[in-house]
Amino acid sequence: MSKETTPNKVAKLDAEGLSLKSVSLWQITWRRLFKRKSALVGLFILGVLVFVALTAQWIAPYSPIEVLIGVEDVTPRQAPCIHLLGCPKDQPQHIMGIDGNVRDQFSRILHGARQSLIIGFSTVTFAIVIGTVLGALGGYLGGWVDNVIMRIMDVVLAFPSLLLAIAIVTVLGPGLVNALLAIGIVSIPAYARVVRASVLSVREMDYVSAAKAMGGNTFHILFKRILPNALTPLIVQGTLGIATAILDAAALSFLGLGAQPPLAEWGSMLGAERNQVFTAPHLVFYPGLAIMLTVLAFNLLGDGLRDALDPRLGHVAG
Amino acid sequence: MKRTFTLLLSLLVLTSLMLVSCRPATQPATQQPAATTEAATGGTTEPAAFEPMVVEAPNCDYGGEFLRIEALDEYTVRFTLCYPDPAFPSKIAFSAFAIQPREWLEANGGSGELLTHPIGTGPYMVQQWVRGEQLVFTRFDNYWGDTALTPTLVFRWSTESAQRVLELQAGTVDGIDNPGPDDFAVIRNDPNLQLINRPALNIFYIGMNNTYPPFDDERVRQAIAMSIDRQRIVDQFYPEGSEVASHFTPCSIPNGCVGLPWYDFDPEAGRALLAEAGYPNGFDTKLFYRDVVRGYLPQVSNVAQDIQAQLLANLNIRAEIVVMESGAFLDAADSGQLDGLHLLGWGADFPDQTNFLDFHFGAGSSAQFGEKFPDIIENLQAAARLASDAERAPYYEAANNAIRQHVPMIPVAHGGSAVAFKATVQGAHSSPLGNENFSVMQIPGQDVFVWMQNAEPISLFCADETDGESLRACEQVAESLLAFEVGGTAVKPSLAERCEANQDLTVWTCYLRQGVQFHDGSMLDANDVVASYVLQWDAASPLHVGNTGAFTYFSSLFGGFLNADQ
Repeated sequence: MSKETTPNKVAKLDAEGLSLKSVSLWQITWRRLFKRKSALVGLFILGVLVFVALTAQWIAPYSPIEVLIGVEDVTPRQAPCIHLLGCPKDQPQHIMGIDGNVRDQFSRILHGARQSLIIGFSTVTFAIVIGTVLGALGGYLGGWVDNVIMRIMDVVLAFPSLLLAIAIVTVLGPGLVNALLAIGIVSIPAYARVVRASVLSVREMDYVSAAKAMGGNTFHILFKRILPNALTPLIVQGTLGIATAILDAAALSFLGLGAQPPLAEWGSMLGAERNQVFTAPHLVFYPGLAIMLTVLAFNLLGDGLRDALDPRLGHVAG
Repeated sequence: MKRTFTLLLSLLVLTSLMLVSCRPATQPATQQPAATTEAATGGTTEPAAFEPMVVEAPNCDYGGEFLRIEALDEYTVRFTLCYPDPAFPSKIAFSAFAIQPREWLEANGGSGELLTHPIGTGPYMVQQWVRGEQLVFTRFDNYWGDTALTPTLVFRWSTESAQRVLELQAGTVDGIDNPGPDDFAVIRNDPNLQLINRPALNIFYIGMNNTYPPFDDERVRQAIAMSIDRQRIVDQFYPEGSEVASHFTPCSIPNGCVGLPWYDFDPEAGRALLAEAGYPNGFDTKLFYRDVVRGYLPQVSNVAQDIQAQLLANLNIRAEIVVMESGAFLDAADSGQLDGLHLLGWGADFPDQTNFLDFHFGAGSSAQFGEKFPDIIENLQAAARLASDAERAPYYEAANNAIRQHVPMIPVAHGGSAVAFKATVQGAHSSPLGNENFSVMQIPGQDVFVWMQNAEPISLFCADETDGESLRACEQVAESLLAFEVGGTAVKPSLAERCEANQDLTVWTCYLRQGVQFHDGSMLDANDVVASYVLQWDAASPLHVGNTGAFTYFSSLFGGFLNADQ
């Protein structure tokens, strides 16, 4: 990002009052973001999640797939035992209880963070890359290329995204990778449309005309001149999209189409114990809570980013 | 402008035509019982026209049990068998061999509407089947026996045990099948509910198909058999009343447990055997199952994951879990397409070894376990032809030992299960055969009885279904020559008042009850019986269609089809 040349014009417009020296758009964005409490909360939860995901194998007390039958004196779906809260010291501590297959729920939740983040980032990256290329081509070239690409995107958008993802997974076969692919595919149109709209508005700018006049080829103009200046809405859309992707992946896993056992994934953990919602509520509460927090974090951050990046909201936010 | 209008108008007409053609077909016959009854009385005025049907095999070389099925007169049917069959009454009492009107079978070409709209003689008739939602039965007022106590019976289903229990507690259903093991105590402690245990007359097993490597090596199968801690599975994932299976057949069935008990859990020996077979580092395979709860497998995914973990820990076999849709899974298993391990089970249809061993390992069994084992088949055939349990014992002992030797599957558990009802339900019972009879149940003052089971019936033509959820629905509608007592396993008369055998049990003559009416108003006669059997027996018959055309029960219980090669 740092290599991108940000037109001073935009910076000045945004940075009202601070425009004596040149301030990059990103610095301004960060400043604005830090002024928003909700975005900070999102950023904090996300920070914790990333930390947990990176260090899961060291901070988790057990392996997520270790079956404790014969290892410890525990039974399937045993309620949480926390020594600090008065659970007898002679019982092994499991702060989120034991799951239906006699594994430590806490360790599985921690490892689940890793899956969720991988799912979120990889699907959105996939969708952004493809969506950007399609949207940029459509927006810049116009004509029949634009028509064909955008009509295909319209068709994909016409289906409810989860339903389409289920259909794709049914064809490809269940499994985490296929689920990721399916979610990636169904989220392409959103990015393609966003990029196309930005490209349309940017391509008539003077500096683009200048680049054309200087003899820059299409590829150069599109990817070096236009796209970097059309990125802001994409970043917001991407952040919010991660939340949707995590939710969709959890739904697919809940239905048994995503992550396959014994992989610790929140959606599938929730799905596996759905029938014990009354008899062992801890087994559905914690994965549900984890999904909720993660999605909330990305949504808060996305909202904050949108406000921070939107020049029109600058006065209000500033 | 005018052209656009015309175009729009014609489009509108076209759309409405399409919508009309997509409308579900109207239900026949039962909607107007009065009219059909008249037609029926018209039909019975010509008894002189009765032409008895006879179908016979040229000889017994085709391998099946039947030699001839014939109507002797309007109310007498004779089955001539190729070999003695002491279990014959139990077999013909089973709901896969229910009788439907010959005309109805022929009118539908052995399939079609038969799958959704069986015409039987039972206490209930199908009123409406809203796919994915519910199956509604209404009382058949001209039933030959005691008419049903409740006018309307509704079958609903949910694969989620929590939902079943919740609906029972909320009072939206009156009875449920298979509450989750964790909910047993909840139901028992609820004064508004009653829990009725169902005896563990079933088997849960891990199947293997010996046509796919590495399962084509007997040592591999034996190694897995030794390396699954079955006690642990039963202890952790099964409710009270369950037990580890020492043999395929439960011990309460005569000769079920003769022969050597199953291998002891010995992962060391298993690893050694696997190494000897050439897999010291294990191998990759798949573990197939359907995510549906049955009495033999109350916690499917937990058991599957535990088996997956045990295979990895004990033998370093890396099994990838593959969950399949129920119907597709059964089809794939029957046609021998599952190239890994698969989790399946069996609930007794009638309390006889033939129902367990012959169905799975006999000459007429499906391709589920791959190539069949001659030494198992020989012993089963020899045993099935003997009349007394004592005479059959040595053969079943040999068959059980051969199963232990060849390991076509690993018997894991006989699962205890239960049904639950509202406390106010009178006549509530569970059946060890899974065929609860709802015509004897009622809540006084209530016109509708709602039953919620584990899954939707696959079809209602039970000659060609093997799933218990389908059979239970069929059993309310259609009846067989004989029947099982309510909530038990003893055989009692039904459409036949009695069936008599000759001295060596090769000729069985059944005398039909007179004046039995079908739901469409026609009267039961011997030709209906012959037609219902021949549809299944004769593979060359144009009516031998069914749902998938497998007719698995017939081929496995009666040895095979006539004209199977055509």
